[in-house]
Amino acid sequence: MTAIDISGVTKRYGTELALDGLDLTVESGDIYGFLGPNGAGKSTTINLVLDFIRPTRGDVRVFDLDARSDSLEIRKRTGILPEGATLYDRLTGRQHVEFAIESKAADDDPDELLERVGIADAAGKKAGGYSKGMAQRLMLATALVGEPDLLILDEPSTGLDPNGAREMREIIREENARGATIFFSSHVLGQVEAVCDRVGILRDGHLIAEDTIDGLRDSMPTQTRLRVTLDRIPDDSAAALAAIESIDGVSSVEPEGRTLIVACEDRAKTTVLRRIEEHGVSVEDFETDDSSLEDLFVAYTSDAAGSAGVIQ
Amino acid sequence: MSAIIVAKKDFRDAIRSRVLIGLTVLFALFTVGGAALASWLSGLSDDASAQSTIELVLTLQAPAGFLVPIIALIVGYGAIAGERESGSLKFLLGLPHRRRDVVLGKVLGRTGVVAVSIFVGFTIGLLGLFAFVGSVSLTDYVAFTAVTILFGLVYVAIGVGLSAMTRSTTRAAVGALCVVILFKVIWGIVGTILLYVIEGTFLMESPPGWYFVYNAVSPDAAYGSAIGAVLNQSGPTVASAYDISTLPLVAEPWFGFVILAVWAAVPIGLGLWRFDYVDL
Repeated sequence: MTAIDISGVTKRYGTELALDGLDLTVESGDIYGFLGPNGAGKSTTINLVLDFIRPTRGDVRVFDLDARSDSLEIRKRTGILPEGATLYDRLTGRQHVEFAIESKAADDDPDELLERVGIADAAGKKAGGYSKGMAQRLMLATALVGEPDLLILDEPSTGLDPNGAREMREIIREENARGATIFFSSHVLGQVEAVCDRVGILRDGHLIAEDTIDGLRDSMPTQTRLRVTLDRIPDDSAAALAAIESIDGVSSVEPEGRTLIVACEDRAKTTVLRRIEEHGVSVEDFETDDSSLEDLFVAYTSDAAGSAGVIQ
Repeated sequence: MSAIIVAKKDFRDAIRSRVLIGLTVLFALFTVGGAALASWLSGLSDDASAQSTIELVLTLQAPAGFLVPIIALIVGYGAIAGERESGSLKFLLGLPHRRRDVVLGKVLGRTGVVAVSIFVGFTIGLLGLFAFVGSVSLTDYVAFTAVTILFGLVYVAIGVGLSAMTRSTTRAAVGALCVVILFKVIWGIVGTILLYVIEGTFLMESPPGWYFVYNAVSPDAAYGSAIGAVLNQSGPTVASAYDISTLPLVAEPWFGFVILAVWAAVPIGLGLWRFDYVDL
């Protein structure tokens, strides 16, 4: 069963192309991380799923229902945390949750939900006085109303401190364990990496990669980051840097005092060390670490030289 | 059902607005002022029935005719455009509500808010009448209140309709201001100009039928007609003022209700139509 099925969707605003033939499938029961830099089209995609906007071309289906004609049925079964949560300043937190419960004809206990997202003590306060983080938690509480089959979270960690973001991830896992499909967008990879089964990376209106986290990692040439500590700075440091940079497989060299940080492919490691010693300095210490997914994400979504090769 | 849920939420939210409280206080001051004026005038007249009508008109209809449209438009213009601007519309429509439920719910909720304002203003006016004049017909008072709430609904519908047709509260506010100017100023001037252009004079002993129709179809005139109909009074109606026996249907007092209904339905219809297909 598929929860979300987007096929060949183009969305145009005047002359601006927000989505360009997007194909995206989210399987039921998955936690799907929807990644991309700001302005890539993530919110546009979510707005299409919720029928807030209509596609210029293409087909959007949710639970195998048409996003436009069956929107009401879809939204009955979906919990939504919209981007940049805006509340009704003059209503209390509890009134917000009560409104969601009534709207969905659910029978949840509002205080229980507020407790779950950690703002039970502010239940009777007007939302106008909430901090950004509290507003985000309140929105999450309303999204959880009625045990939805699908949770759509647009940049859920906005305004949350690291602790709040961790609690958010816990709730995402709990909801998923209950059987809900989770679709959440972020421009920060760290949040997606920790919880997602699958990741899609959106850039300039289409999906440039879609895989499991491990799969994405495997698809990259094995990148290594070398930290080499020298006994002194070479006399002709500029020439030394240039020499290292010119080695096949090296993508960047950065000096930090006596330490050089070299990003390179695995096979170039020994050549790098040898080349350094040719410049009359000795290596006191060196360590390596495998590429973090963050590097991967940056490589996928930025135009920086050297990373162009990984984009299809 | 969904529209009712939206209306209830919206009522709770909008009733707490400080602007509304200020407007209601202003309205109450007007009705008390009207009652004082009525008590002063009642000393000048001997005709008891005309007197009680004049009291009510001065105390309730004049302030309501002037302020209710303004209150209703202020309460209505931000209803949808404001939520669109702030982004809370995505929370509202993320819940299972149809867009038409949102528009209708907003009209109902905000009409409720205006009704409270009218009720408060009229109650204070009523107390003023008791204080200054001594007596007043409660039946008339209730009828007055009901028709005035209907009048408020019309302007809320215009405000919410405007609000549903634009994504900017500024534009909705400009639209609301234009509506006020149209019905309070331009409508009458255009009528006079038309009369002059068509008939060649400003002053006629018995103006032509179309002029009665024209002057009866604005919402403000329809409010006056509808009040005339429920009070069933022989007071200063159009017919008696001009001493003509057969009025055009449109200018009949009861037809005021039909006109009010049309003025409510048209902006709601346009708002529904536009809001239903637009990208949020």
